[in-house]
Amino acid sequence: MTLAHPLANRLVPAATVLAAALVLASCSPAATSSDTSTDAGTPVTGGTLVYASGDAEPTCLDPHVGGNYPQALVASQYLETLYTKDADGKLIPWLAEDSTVSDDGLTRTVKIRDGIKFTDGTALDAAAVKTNFEHLLNPETASSTGYLALGKIDSMDAVDATTLELKLKTPDNSLLESFSMPWVAIESPTALKRTQAENCASPVGTGPFKVESWKKQDSVNLVRNADYVLPVSTAAHAGTAYLDAITWRFIPEAATRYAALQAGEVQVIDNAQPDAIAAAGKVSTIKHLDAPRPGASNRIELNSSKAPFNDAKVREAFIHAVNVKASIDSLFFGTAPQSFSALSSVEPLAYSEESLFGYDAAKAGKLLDAAGWSNRDSEGYRVKDGTRLSLTFPVSTSQSIPAEQSLFEQMQATAKESGIEIKINLLDLSSWYGDLAKNDYDLVSAPYTKVGPSVLSVLFSSASTIPAPSGYFANHSQVKDPALDALLETAGSTKDEAERKDLYTQVQKKVLEGYYVLPLYDQQNHFLYSDKLKNVGATTAVATPTFFDTWLAN
Amino acid sequence: MSASAAATNRSHGSFGASVRWLLRKLGGGIFVLWAVATAIFFGIRMIPGDPAEAILGGPGSQASPEALAAARAQYGLDLPLHVQYFGQLWRLATGNMGTSYSLKIPVTDVLRELVPSTLILAVLALLLAWAMALVLAVLSTRSGGLGTALASGLEIVSAAVPHFWLASVLIMVFSTALGWLPPVSTNTPAGLVLPVITLALPLAGFLGQVMRDTMEEAQRSAFALSARARGESETGVLLRHSLRHAALPGIALSGWALGSLLSGAVVVESIFARPGLGRSLLSAVTTRDIPLVTGVALLSAASYVVIMALSDIAERLVDPRISAP
Repeated sequence: MTLAHPLANRLVPAATVLAAALVLASCSPAATSSDTSTDAGTPVTGGTLVYASGDAEPTCLDPHVGGNYPQALVASQYLETLYTKDADGKLIPWLAEDSTVSDDGLTRTVKIRDGIKFTDGTALDAAAVKTNFEHLLNPETASSTGYLALGKIDSMDAVDATTLELKLKTPDNSLLESFSMPWVAIESPTALKRTQAENCASPVGTGPFKVESWKKQDSVNLVRNADYVLPVSTAAHAGTAYLDAITWRFIPEAATRYAALQAGEVQVIDNAQPDAIAAAGKVSTIKHLDAPRPGASNRIELNSSKAPFNDAKVREAFIHAVNVKASIDSLFFGTAPQSFSALSSVEPLAYSEESLFGYDAAKAGKLLDAAGWSNRDSEGYRVKDGTRLSLTFPVSTSQSIPAEQSLFEQMQATAKESGIEIKINLLDLSSWYGDLAKNDYDLVSAPYTKVGPSVLSVLFSSASTIPAPSGYFANHSQVKDPALDALLETAGSTKDEAERKDLYTQVQKKVLEGYYVLPLYDQQNHFLYSDKLKNVGATTAVATPTFFDTWLAN
Repeated sequence: MSASAAATNRSHGSFGASVRWLLRKLGGGIFVLWAVATAIFFGIRMIPGDPAEAILGGPGSQASPEALAAARAQYGLDLPLHVQYFGQLWRLATGNMGTSYSLKIPVTDVLRELVPSTLILAVLALLLAWAMALVLAVLSTRSGGLGTALASGLEIVSAAVPHFWLASVLIMVFSTALGWLPPVSTNTPAGLVLPVITLALPLAGFLGQVMRDTMEEAQRSAFALSARARGESETGVLLRHSLRHAALPGIALSGWALGSLLSGAVVVESIFARPGLGRSLLSAVTTRDIPLVTGVALLSAASYVVIMALSDIAERLVDPRISAP
């Protein structure tokens, strides 16, 4: 859900640019383009993959606890989920065999697959799944992501070894999508009985790898699960993983991470920055995996709860006053296609409306004149009743990568030509959340990862404007529209797939046409890897890579 | 009164002075530690947000009210502020630094694991900086005008170079372009070269500048002249007499050098992905891990106090004009 992004580049944006420049300069002339997807050769068993993550090291390897993206990345190697998405993005049962729902939508029956064991020997059954759900819902577990996915469950009962019956408070057609997220992955009930510290250090799952050891502040060592049973034959091979082991390292600096990949010290890096991806495109031995995250697109939310954005005309004017396209093209080196949707492009129900979003300063000017912002002050900014047209834009330096921060600065420059002042405040995460809680913002960009269109309800329902106990709320546009709430309600509970699609499309139209958001691009999730690694590309429902089929050429 | 009695008296007096000096240093040290602990305790609470969130996975977590309450109770965050403050002081005084919010292990364990790594880095960097500064000072003083100008320029440039820039350039040249050294630091000789150079170079610039000034001054002094008059060679004068002078500001600056090395370690350990105090401090501050921030800061303050005391003693040993402690 809300996910801490790499702390990565705060120290050295300048150095990174310089690094990229020199890297480009030092490329061998023989280098040709990469990204050929055919992996010739016969798979080889053995070898250790070294993975370098740019994210902060998780504080707990069990994604039930807390629940952020760095945890999902590593846990995807040793934990599996009830449902997952296949290569075409279709939701399929994984540890579950299948699932049915009663006519009133209030009873969900989940059949659990037979014959699968956790790596500690415990058998997977309905009672084990029930124990996991109880673990997630127990306040002492301190789940902040997974428990939301199970929020509508009222009670549960393991009817027999393979049947779990869930009674829901209200119908929830996103439950199976929720089950596909690593934050709701299934762990050994025997292992869950240990203390939280023990379970955090070595959670036990059913995945192709298992946690061998965790040297904090250094690396997590994963080894092959020799007894692995592939639940569904969607992979390129059966049996166990090709790799002996995976060493999961943490290299916070983007430039160092890329240098380590080039030096052959590591074979996969995540959080690859646009400059490195562009540079890698010219290196034949480095390949690129682009795996946008599901859920919301990266977008700027316009705070409609107060002036000036309580006026829809001003929101529309702002959107036409900034030249997002030109900035994205130049700052992201073509690695991030522009989005015109509130949802990620990997969401099957995403609705795009490109015609609403275009740079048109003349139109912006007319709209602002009509809205009463026709006068200008000595600095050229528009004023109305003695107030300058000024927008506060708190930016989290840990969530917005350097390229995105530059994008915001360029927006600031183009908006000024239309007489709009944008005040960018670069903040650490705590202070950033502090400003949101105080309603001290007009513009904000916040990521939100979730599987399925139900993320729209999180982002745009009136209920989401009410802060959680921590002060957090997700509806940053502060849309409070009873008609929209009604649509979201029905869209989230209907059993009719066609109706669901139609309703969520209406929701997205309302949001886009109300100019509550300015979509930028998908949530960027880029990986670079050595061409010695073959068969890289499989990902989970939340776009974390898995390495079951991957092998390391000599 | 016999001569021997007078001697005992004098040495007794100097022993008493030493004890007083030590007590004064100790008292000052304790005051510094208290001030650091207090500043951090109140300072970190002024950042917006709830420390309980830090325990539950960071700011913006959507933890349930029950989970937040459980975390507050577990870490005593629901107690009145003054109770928390004095409780914290008492625990620190008894050597209990608490449990890291983010790592969920005792802070003392974290420190024990990380200190050697940062210490190796800092000590090697300090030695290298000293060696480079001395060699440069001696060579340039010997070679006269042009050498001095060159060395001075070199020192100013290296002293002004920011760590992150230097680190990035070194990685680009020696890891990416030449492929000689790894970009990720380990405790192997090859893995230490780049981070140690990154830390040492700016420090060597500072130390060299100060040492050479002192050395040149010493070379012009009366004792150098008299040594030359005794027939001592120019090299002899430099090594046997002036060098000792040049070492003095270097020693006096050691406390400051330690501070520079520790702040440099924050950057260097992050860039070279090396486990250590600096990198942990950065992530502890980011995640508002109050016990860990307090632990690292107290440890730095304590070592600063110790180094200052040691450099005081060393200065007195090298320079007889300063009365022995």
